[in-house]
Amino acid sequence: MNHRQTRRAAVAAALLAGCALSSAAMAQDWPAGPVHIFVGFPAGSSPDTIARLVAEPLAEALGKPVVVENRPGAGGVIAVQQMLARGGDSFSININGPLTTAQRLIPDLGYDPATDIAPVGLIATSPLVLAVGADFPADDLAGFIDAAAEPEAISYGSVGEGSGAHLTAELFADAAGVQLFHIPFQSYAEVTTSILGGEIDSGFMAPSAALPQVEAGKMKMLGVTSAEPFAQVPDVPVIAGIAGLPDDFRAELWNAFIAPAATDPAVIERLNTELNTILADDKVRERLLAMGWQAQPGTPEDLAQRITDDTALWGGVIDTVQATQ
Amino acid sequence: MRRDLYDLGWGVILALTGLAVAGYAWVSYDMGSLRRMGPGFFPVTLGLLLAGLGALIAIPAMGRPGQRRPFAWPETIAVVTALLVFGLALDGLGVLLTTALTVLIASAVAPRRGLGWRLGLTIAVTALVWLVFVQGLNMSLPVWPGAWR
Amino acid sequence: MTTMEGLAHGLAVALQPGVLIYSLLGAVLGTLVGVLPGIGAMAAITLLLPITYYISSEAALVMLAAVYYGAQYGGAVASILLRLPGTPQSAVTTLDGYPMAQQGRAGVALFTAMISSFAGSMLGIVILVLLAGGLSQLATSFGAADYAAMMVLGLVAASTIGEGRLSKSLAMVVLGVILGCVGTDVNSGAQRFTFGQVQLLDGINLVALAMGLFGLAEIIGNIRKAEHDGPPARVSLRELVPTRDDLRRLVAPIARGTALGGFFGALPGTGSTISSFLSYALERRVARQPERFGKGAIEGVAGPEAANNSASITAFVPTLTLGIPGDPIMALMLGALVIHGIQPGPMMLEAHPDMFWGLVISFGIGNLFLLVLNLPLIGIWVAMLRIPFRWLYPAIIIFVCLGVYSVRGSTFDIVMVAGIGVIGYALTQAAFSPALLLLGFVLGPLIETNLRRALLISRGDPMIFLERPIACGFGIATVALLIYGFVKHRKHGLQEKRGS
Repeated sequence: MNHRQTRRAAVAAALLAGCALSSAAMAQDWPAGPVHIFVGFPAGSSPDTIARLVAEPLAEALGKPVVVENRPGAGGVIAVQQMLARGGDSFSININGPLTTAQRLIPDLGYDPATDIAPVGLIATSPLVLAVGADFPADDLAGFIDAAAEPEAISYGSVGEGSGAHLTAELFADAAGVQLFHIPFQSYAEVTTSILGGEIDSGFMAPSAALPQVEAGKMKMLGVTSAEPFAQVPDVPVIAGIAGLPDDFRAELWNAFIAPAATDPAVIERLNTELNTILADDKVRERLLAMGWQAQPGTPEDLAQRITDDTALWGGVIDTVQATQ
Repeated sequence: MRRDLYDLGWGVILALTGLAVAGYAWVSYDMGSLRRMGPGFFPVTLGLLLAGLGALIAIPAMGRPGQRRPFAWPETIAVVTALLVFGLALDGLGVLLTTALTVLIASAVAPRRGLGWRLGLTIAVTALVWLVFVQGLNMSLPVWPGAWR
Repeated sequence: MTTMEGLAHGLAVALQPGVLIYSLLGAVLGTLVGVLPGIGAMAAITLLLPITYYISSEAALVMLAAVYYGAQYGGAVASILLRLPGTPQSAVTTLDGYPMAQQGRAGVALFTAMISSFAGSMLGIVILVLLAGGLSQLATSFGAADYAAMMVLGLVAASTIGEGRLSKSLAMVVLGVILGCVGTDVNSGAQRFTFGQVQLLDGINLVALAMGLFGLAEIIGNIRKAEHDGPPARVSLRELVPTRDDLRRLVAPIARGTALGGFFGALPGTGSTISSFLSYALERRVARQPERFGKGAIEGVAGPEAANNSASITAFVPTLTLGIPGDPIMALMLGALVIHGIQPGPMMLEAHPDMFWGLVISFGIGNLFLLVLNLPLIGIWVAMLRIPFRWLYPAIIIFVCLGVYSVRGSTFDIVMVAGIGVIGYALTQAAFSPALLLLGFVLGPLIETNLRRALLISRGDPMIFLERPIACGFGIATVALLIYGFVKHRKHGLQEKRGS
């Protein structure tokens, strides 16, 4: 998409939103200075790499520097707080946690994802895979569920209480009608070590964390939590619809571009357009996939819907987990 | 000096800290079971342990002469103020003004009085910060007042 | 491909001009950034990360690795000259390095640190080449119970490094462990001692703690004292070089430190920290005059420096051969490999032997660069000490603030340093050991999570600690150490009584 079309889209969006003409004029001149993108994880982490992947072409398109600012902490929450506190042209590229589950898990969050955040667009999604050690007795999902028939007989590792891996496992256990035994770790690296060492039976893991072990014949992947087969691990069956699990079973982690709620709608529209242009680039899609992420272009409304859906989904799981504790 | 006041004082402080930690953790956090230990188990145990060790430090110190070591009050206050000023002013004033202010405060307790050398030092350090952190490392910092809200 | 063929292949990769130049660049930048207090490898690597997207995967990795150990060389400088450690490992180096500097032997201390780091790295590479296969199995044969037992042994062994009463040493360790509890509990997700501060959810910032306890405490105590003493006398070049006696003393500590580091480094996690503390404790134990330690014993610098550098070499084993990174920096390196389409893991040696061996060889070349680069700089660093302290300390305060801020851009952490500094000064005045507090802070959370995890894995059966041979072995060693310490303590006490 060329520059004129971008501008037209921005103008159209501003008019549609019923904004005054001055707002449209502002969006044309925007940005006046550098744009800041807050990332809630340290340099080199996958959210950071994704942010840098987006920031560079974005700077080119906007004609102003785009600065990636790492503010690691509290599972991405610090970055959202910093974005809101800093004002100006501050945005954030963040994972789903701070927008969907943080309000349930952190009492003093300092912001409300529903009212303080304006979605710009989804960037990429990643499913989790159910991985077990190579010597696990079952080779498929039905066998796994059979093995887990006795409550707490099968243990699984997650990357922390309330993490995506923990909630996904509980969502799965609930849907499959089994009770798994939760053992929290701090990273997929620790979960991998523990599965290889035979201390725990299984784990819901990022595909890229399990893949090297699977290729070496040390682990098996029994299912993937996305709605469709995932390009990085195309042979792993989708969990939804097999072994008696519901057809609409889906659990995905995602990275998204967000803005403070007070941001000019024309600016959001402009950013969304640029973001989708970047995500249409094959090179960017390939780089994302190599890290285990599937590019997901879409509108701000799509992201808003995603936030609403996932807040409800994970909220339900958190209710169940907290009730049993 | 009839008693080892340092050990006595610290023993009491550590013992009270330990009790406070154990008490707070006991009230606020779940102890759990041996199988699934709660978040309270460790802090309560450690708090009690610290209380015991504090007592072990304090009690022998009562009957033992101690050394008297001067506590550098003015220096402590100046250094702490300097750090607090840096931490609280950085976002508002930007790194250059904050640095200048901090150096002026910190150097106030130097044994050599006088404003002349302190102003010189202030300029030198501020220039160094600009050179190393702003230009060299390109660190993400507010440079001037109002750069960050 | 045999190991010899691999090494030859690696040499060809590492000696490409395009790779060499980035190794040199990484070494220079790592040293310069590492010298700045509190700004460690992580910050330097973050700075260089954008460049790595544009250069070849070999060059990128070699550069990042050079920054990683370059920052360790640099970190030793700040620790020895100014008592400003940015990591627990450098905190060990301050224990005897800083007293040496105060006695006018800063040059010797720096030389010792550098030569020991170099020897530790080189011998670490030898260990890596000879034992890579065995070391990679080590990582998966250690379970939660074994880690917990190992960390307890580490804490108990290190408790003897503090001077004076055992109760005071243990109190510092326990206080450190308590401070380590602050933040989100891994096992339950509960937020402990955060008092509604989101900034505390990930715990107290390690750099803020180290800077406050050591650096600030020292500044406060030194402002008046330094001026009385006047600037250290001018040192001649000859005094920079260790005596033959010094050199002779270095050999055994370096060998022991390297062995400890090589072993613990291969365990993902805190291999580097625990091995430098253990090396210090070991040197103190085997020394004929243990009372020299803490007052400028050259072995107290040599052993730990060799240990932590050898550990940082073998730390690449689990990262590259299992795809399991032990710390954030290793995770970052792993990420850099993935960006270049190389998946570290059990298949790495077969799929990308040139990358693996090239990296191994480049470690050696990078360390050689560092030694050649750093030895001439010793004179400059030592000359810095001749600047009157009143000129130096306001600048140090600024550098500490910015160093702490660089970790995660938090002004809250700078305010924390102020508080920690006062406590650190008061503790030092009362002869408590801040190093032990720091060790408790680092190892405490690991003991807690691994202990609780082990009990989860065994479904609440404490027998797991006896049934696992590794855990049981560490447990027996811990008990033996405690009994030995107690007996020695009593004997010592009796002698003192008889003498008086």
